[in-house]
Amino acid sequence: MNNVLKFKNKKANVAAQDEIYNFAYLDENTKRMIRRALIKALCIPGYQVPFSSREMPMPYGWGTGGVQVTSSCLTTDDVLKVIDQGADDTTNAVSIRNFFKKTANIETTEKTSQASIIQTRHRIPEEKLKEKQILVYQVPIPEPLAFLEPRYQETKKMHALSEYGIMHVKLYEDITKNGHIETAYAYPVKTNDRYIMDPSPIPKFDNPKMNNNPAIQLFGAGREQRIYAIPPYTEVTSIDFEDYPFDPSKAPHKCSICGSNDSFLDEIITDDDGNRSFICSDTNYCNQRMKDK
Amino acid sequence: MEPILSVQNLNKYYGDQVGCKNMNMTLYPGEVVGVVGESGSGKTTFINSISGNLNPDRGKILINKDNEIINFLEISESLKRLLIRTELAFVHQNPRDGLRLDVSAGGNISERLMSIGQRNYGNIRQTIFKWLDKVEIDKSRVDDFPRTFSGGMLQRLQIAKNLVTSPKIIFMDEPTGGLDVSVQAKILDLLRKLVRELNLSVVIVSHDLAVIRLLADKIIVMKNGEAVETGLCDQVLDDPQHSYTQLLVSSVLQV
Repeated sequence: MNNVLKFKNKKANVAAQDEIYNFAYLDENTKRMIRRALIKALCIPGYQVPFSSREMPMPYGWGTGGVQVTSSCLTTDDVLKVIDQGADDTTNAVSIRNFFKKTANIETTEKTSQASIIQTRHRIPEEKLKEKQILVYQVPIPEPLAFLEPRYQETKKMHALSEYGIMHVKLYEDITKNGHIETAYAYPVKTNDRYIMDPSPIPKFDNPKMNNNPAIQLFGAGREQRIYAIPPYTEVTSIDFEDYPFDPSKAPHKCSICGSNDSFLDEIITDDDGNRSFICSDTNYCNQRMKDK
Repeated sequence: MEPILSVQNLNKYYGDQVGCKNMNMTLYPGEVVGVVGESGSGKTTFINSISGNLNPDRGKILINKDNEIINFLEISESLKRLLIRTELAFVHQNPRDGLRLDVSAGGNISERLMSIGQRNYGNIRQTIFKWLDKVEIDKSRVDDFPRTFSGGMLQRLQIAKNLVTSPKIIFMDEPTGGLDVSVQAKILDLLRKLVRELNLSVVIVSHDLAVIRLLADKIIVMKNGEAVETGLCDQVLDDPQHSYTQLLVSSVLQV
């Protein structure tokens, strides 16, 4: 309710037509329900908490889960950053940012260091996150065992009893077929030495950033109606074999704009002759480096 | 010597229907017990009830694990599933029920190894080859999918998948059902070899008296959900006392 009062005080800034929305779109009861799920998720790192996902004014697969989590976490003092595959200027990122500008009238930014909440699709920013920052992931399929065991009841039991042998069968098949672990995104992790978790389709390059991160990491899956979380400074390990250890590989190139050697790169095809160049997927990181030069 | 598995007064009902009633059995290490009877006599209900696939209504199942007696029906779900993964094995009649068809042969064999915590690909691979050799599947087939295997090979693969963690008690439900006689003979040969080599304790269900005679030391004859005759295999089959056992023995086809 506090938010509502604060919001009303800020009313002067809000265009008249937007007053029909509650602060950050969702009604207060729904936000309370989601916050309860979030607290439970933070108490049991990696455990998938069911929640009653609402219909959002956007299609499934566009971040309905992430938007609901962000909406429940936002206060009037928050500064929001939204990225899609690392970029601040793609359709998904721009429209979600505009959505919250319109419904919550909060400040937004493209700078990782200035944001208090970062909603992300498929990347973790290159810049190190700090305490008191919240990273909200958009998750398409929260169940890491889904492709191996189709029965939801059975996967629930497997999680409860830590029966994770089958997860390694997947890696075994990878090595047997390709000589190395082929999984390059949504690479499964073990959280706090207990639950196997799907880190959403981030590249495995980002997996090590989840480990011992000072920020709060929240995961929302709207269609699948699940929320899970990693509290700050939690151990997150990528599963592997002793003789085939986890390798957070990246393309062996430099960013052709900023020259960065250690950021995650997007491959861009530049003409019809098969020429290509590589640029940072994190646009804010790349721009910042160019400015610093 | 202590029995490794002892079943006392086991009952399983489906509503008013009797699944199996007042069943008793003791299985000693290295021993093979055969359960025979006609279709619908409760053989499969019995083996499913004592292997953790079904929950019996009454009775006791005691498993001896390293001289510690475990009451199988009263332990927690997690311990039960751990026992099923490590100490027990179940060979299904249809190998497709016991295998993952979209995982390679090697992957199938390795699952139990990884579920008990083995994390070294090289070692796991070695164990897989050892077991393919034991069940007489060519090593070159290790990365092929089970769906490319013949019925007999599938059954041998299922046996390897189950025995890889050296379980103490093996349950087999008609392991040679649906296979032609020459393949059947091969599987039986293999089973007999493994039972002797690894000193396995086995409960085997079959309607085929020849299979039981070849493998089993003791026999339980079931009819309408009850055991009508029990005893040493040769004794019961050579000198059947109960009229139903007499009928069963006399119905065996001679070539």
